[in-house]
Amino acid sequence: MFVRGLSLFFLLAAFAESILAQDSADYVPEPDQFAPIAKARYLSGELVYIDPVNRRGAIRMHDNYWSGPAHYFALLPYATVRYNGAYAELRDLPLGTVVHGYFFLPPRGEEATIPPLPDEHKKFAIPHNHAISLEDDFSFYQRQGQWWKVVSIDVENEKINVEPSGEKTKDGINTPYTFDIDARTRIWKDRRLSDLADIKTGTIVQLNLTWATNWGDKEFGIGDIWLDDVSRKFATEMQRRRHLRYERDHWAPGWIDEVEPFDFGGGIVTLTLFDVDRELIEDLRRDKDERIAVAVAEKTRRTWIHRSDRKFAKLVEWKEIKDPPVGSSGVQLRLKFVELLSGYKPGRCVRVKAENWKWVSVPPEERITSREEQELGAKMVLPF
Amino acid sequence: MTDVRQSGEAATALSCGRQPADTITKLNNKPRSGDSRLDLLSPLRGSVGIGDALSHGLRRGLCAIAASRLYVGSRSNSSRVKLAFVVFLLSLISQTGYAEAADFVSDIQPFFAKYCARCHNTKKQEGNFRLDTLARDFTDEGIAQRWAEVVFRMNSGEMPPRDEPQPQPDELGRVVDWLSARISEGRAVRMARRGPVAHYRLSREEYAHTVYDLLGVHFDVNAPGAFNDDPRWHGFERIGSLLSLSPSHVDRYLQAAETVITRAFPDVAPKAIKGRRDDGGMAGIPTEGGPYRAIYWPGVEGNHIHMSSGGTPVKVRIKLSGLQPQGGRAPHLTVWDFVQKKSIFDEDIVAPENKPVVVEFTTTTSSFQLLNAVTGFPGNAHTRSNTARRLVSSRQARIGHPAGYKLFDDEGRPLFPLLLVDSVEWESVPVSDQDRQKREGLFPTSITRNAKAPADRGHMEELLGDCRKSLQRFAGRAWRRPVTGDEVERYVAIVKDELDAGEPFGSAYRSALVGVLVSKNFYYIVEGSAEKPRDQLNDWELASRLSYFLWSSLPDEELLASARDGSLHRPERLKAQLQRMLDDQRIGRFTESFPRQWLQLHRVGMFPPDPGLYPNYDRWLEKSMVLETQAYFAEVFSKNLPLRQILQSDWTMVNPRLASFYQLPQLNSSGFQKVTLRPEDHRGGLLTQAAILSLTSDGTRHRPVHRGVWVSEAIFGRTPPSPPPNVEPLEPTPSNKPKATIRDQLEAHATHATCASCHRKIDPLGFAFDNYDAIGSWRTTERVTSGQGENPPVVASGVLPDGRPFNGPDEFTRLLAQDVDRFAEAFIEQLATYALRRVMTIDDREQIKLIAAECRRNNYQLRNVIENLVTSELFLMR
Repeated sequence: MFVRGLSLFFLLAAFAESILAQDSADYVPEPDQFAPIAKARYLSGELVYIDPVNRRGAIRMHDNYWSGPAHYFALLPYATVRYNGAYAELRDLPLGTVVHGYFFLPPRGEEATIPPLPDEHKKFAIPHNHAISLEDDFSFYQRQGQWWKVVSIDVENEKINVEPSGEKTKDGINTPYTFDIDARTRIWKDRRLSDLADIKTGTIVQLNLTWATNWGDKEFGIGDIWLDDVSRKFATEMQRRRHLRYERDHWAPGWIDEVEPFDFGGGIVTLTLFDVDRELIEDLRRDKDERIAVAVAEKTRRTWIHRSDRKFAKLVEWKEIKDPPVGSSGVQLRLKFVELLSGYKPGRCVRVKAENWKWVSVPPEERITSREEQELGAKMVLPF
Repeated sequence: MTDVRQSGEAATALSCGRQPADTITKLNNKPRSGDSRLDLLSPLRGSVGIGDALSHGLRRGLCAIAASRLYVGSRSNSSRVKLAFVVFLLSLISQTGYAEAADFVSDIQPFFAKYCARCHNTKKQEGNFRLDTLARDFTDEGIAQRWAEVVFRMNSGEMPPRDEPQPQPDELGRVVDWLSARISEGRAVRMARRGPVAHYRLSREEYAHTVYDLLGVHFDVNAPGAFNDDPRWHGFERIGSLLSLSPSHVDRYLQAAETVITRAFPDVAPKAIKGRRDDGGMAGIPTEGGPYRAIYWPGVEGNHIHMSSGGTPVKVRIKLSGLQPQGGRAPHLTVWDFVQKKSIFDEDIVAPENKPVVVEFTTTTSSFQLLNAVTGFPGNAHTRSNTARRLVSSRQARIGHPAGYKLFDDEGRPLFPLLLVDSVEWESVPVSDQDRQKREGLFPTSITRNAKAPADRGHMEELLGDCRKSLQRFAGRAWRRPVTGDEVERYVAIVKDELDAGEPFGSAYRSALVGVLVSKNFYYIVEGSAEKPRDQLNDWELASRLSYFLWSSLPDEELLASARDGSLHRPERLKAQLQRMLDDQRIGRFTESFPRQWLQLHRVGMFPPDPGLYPNYDRWLEKSMVLETQAYFAEVFSKNLPLRQILQSDWTMVNPRLASFYQLPQLNSSGFQKVTLRPEDHRGGLLTQAAILSLTSDGTRHRPVHRGVWVSEAIFGRTPPSPPPNVEPLEPTPSNKPKATIRDQLEAHATHATCASCHRKIDPLGFAFDNYDAIGSWRTTERVTSGQGENPPVVASGVLPDGRPFNGPDEFTRLLAQDVDRFAEAFIEQLATYALRRVMTIDDREQIKLIAAECRRNNYQLRNVIENLVTSELFLMR
């Protein structure tokens, strides 16, 4: 009886797992809602191609490393990118970096964003091509509390053996592993570059993986390795500064939840800010009684001439929700406008400027300058 | 009115005739030099005029008989004798009354010295009026008019003021009767002084209607350089004495006549034109969901459209939808002539997106563009340049540039008043059968328009004979009377001269036609005869007076036929013709023109309101205000409503623009429509209409005194005296003092003795409407920019000159409506001024009273008022 019951339990558990897997595989995000990351599919690989302006790229998948084509993807508007433990833009990730991502099927209505692969590659195509998050190893493992402990280092053969330390991640590598380490590896200690001699057995490190010279099935080289907390914090801080500069120039991203028009052009717009460094949120909170500029953006977060194509608003309400979904900062603003732009629509992306951020002109190649460019930018252009 | 004692063809400046008495009184209250004067404190000092002589009963009787002879000059002998007898009897009767019993030195002069001289003397002239030097020459219209004013003030209880010693009724009656008798006695002499012939030049508006009714040619008298503005007297732009003629007028009449004749009888028929502009700009290119439609958001100016019509009439059709935001204004289509910088078509458009309408109009302009003439659209030029200019459907997910202004909400509802224009089509208007009929027989068919004069003399005479007949017909129609052979020969001579000069026959004949239109007989309405002076109009003159009164144009054939057979003056025939004319569509010219002139609607927008203070004010609102008042009057006319409803009603006529401005329920269709008003709307009657409320304002604030003066003039028919010179303007409230309303400031201002006497009578008439701001919006507080504290509340209470108190505009208009007799009399006076083209004087007052009495029987219904005026002695007299 007990055995039968146990069998039934495992059967049900297996069924539930299959349902869950099925659910995850088939989940289609709504275009104007934050998709639950729990229903995303984990994929990792080496970043081999980026379109930084439109936040798109390609990774060489570990699972089809030898024969498959790169996996082309787009970042969802609210997708977060992390590098060296801080928020980042796709452009901040060097090509060749191994990244970990969570991917969905294209949101409803955006199926054409990533064009289909050529016929000969179709059998390798992965339909989950819209990422909600993308991270390097440093960010991925450190965020989840997993570090690496140096077990041994073979300088002559340029190999290093490590084992997980701390919380083991569900995805990614969570078992002892041997990576290549050689002269190209940047070894960070304190706030400077160091050398192999500083790598001691038993040291807790973070590392970023990259291309392996003898590339093969799930073989990796180490691009960067951080030997101590100071070096890791320094790397994170440098990336954070880059992120802050970028967002203050391009303005904080978000999207519109609701528009309540008034007579003759004005109205209340409710918007949610995407997940960005909290310092940016604090900027906005500090300046909330000043005028807040809101520019219309595409799903790629690209704007037109954002310093001109914006309208000012006064804050009516500042609202924060706990445990926001991935991609959301949890901060919702209700803004009162005297004039509304055509692009202020629910689900539409915007960029929001705090009063005290400098007015910056975005270079022409980054902004949209015409209807043709706007339409061209709606789809990824494959490099073949 | 201009009197010409010698008739002649030479049309020269004719403004030097008799100045109407009312003009003298109302525009210039100064006594004229050379008048005989009477110093009340030093009687009979200085020269004594005819009026003094008339105080002797015998001479008065003789004078009355003599005057009655003059007065009835053109009547039959029997009626002349009867009237003379009546006048004589009246003079005898008057001798038995107060008038005879009273003596100026013993009875009248002490009265004035006791009750009036204290305020109207050498040292002090309350109301800018001095009684001690007012002459007693009652044969002088100006002087008689001023004495009549004295009588009116005493009769109405205004004078002496309540806070002064009051005369006993019999004391007052004796003086009033004495003065009335003197005024009445002088009347005959004054009437006799009128010239034998009066000329009234056509106003611009009348000229346009006349040439259209004569030849079917639309001539734009308002085009730049066409005609001068007509001078106005209290809004009336058809007062003969003001419509003088200068050399520039003659030149413009010549140019106008050439244009009119060329269009009516062109050498070569104008080329027909036809065109179309698909306003979406992409017609024919298939798009998802249909063709593009042009979006005209507020303030958008469309592309220039050039029709190359060369001034000939073109019918324009515009297919479009008009989307009105919930609770907002309707979009407004203006077709703008960007060359002449004027609107040629205006209409609020309310039509669903899927049910476009076609509006059409006829114009003689050649180039135009479409506008959505609604103000208030955001003004950022960069964002405007991004804003969508075309769409297929409001349901489109994306309309235009996302960084342009948002035009629709997420359900596709308009956020602004939007016009969606599909197409603009235009096509030449062919000459209608009606217009062709007007020209029939006016251009001899025997004349080939480009042919040279024939060498054969016999044939030449035959052709000239044809010209003669056509010219006779044309001049008769144009001059509105029979034309003598000699008169026609002058124009035949023009044809001959032109032929001799080598002009083609058609051209030579057209010169003669032009000559007919530049004759004074065309642009002057002539009444009277130099050879045989008379007081009554003949039937031809009556026909013209009637048609220019009601149609602002020449008499039609039926009216001329009544004149021709001499029956028009017969009451039954006159009434029949009147009814026919009142039912004719041309009566719309009267219902449009009379209220505009009577109410001085030309003053609306004269001082454009400050856009900072009144951002909702725009050109279409201004025009709609005027149209409301005209439509209101037209409704009173068409339903034959009593005059009381002009003062008080629970309805009005509004279009979507005004409905929005008055905050009435939103209208679902374009155009003016009758709406029922609720008490909370605070509207009803003429006096609460935005046009009336705004015409007295300056660009920044309402002006209660000007409102009061307007009410006094337009509603009571009384013109208050002009303010004394060098009156200090109202100063803004100092910044350290509490905010004060205009009323507060005026009341402080009127505490000066020199101001108080007039302001006491004028100001309450204006204060009653203090709940309306400078453009006629309802308010309960008055916006004051200087001073401290909150904006003060409006106080719209007051006391009428007769002592009746009121609180607010509703009570005020109710009190006015209770006193409808007084308003009716004033209204008839204004109507008569319009009809007779001259200012009414004290000599017309009796007739006006008789007409009013007759009208009272029908509760002063408007059409009956017109009928009583037209059939009155006043209307039939010169």
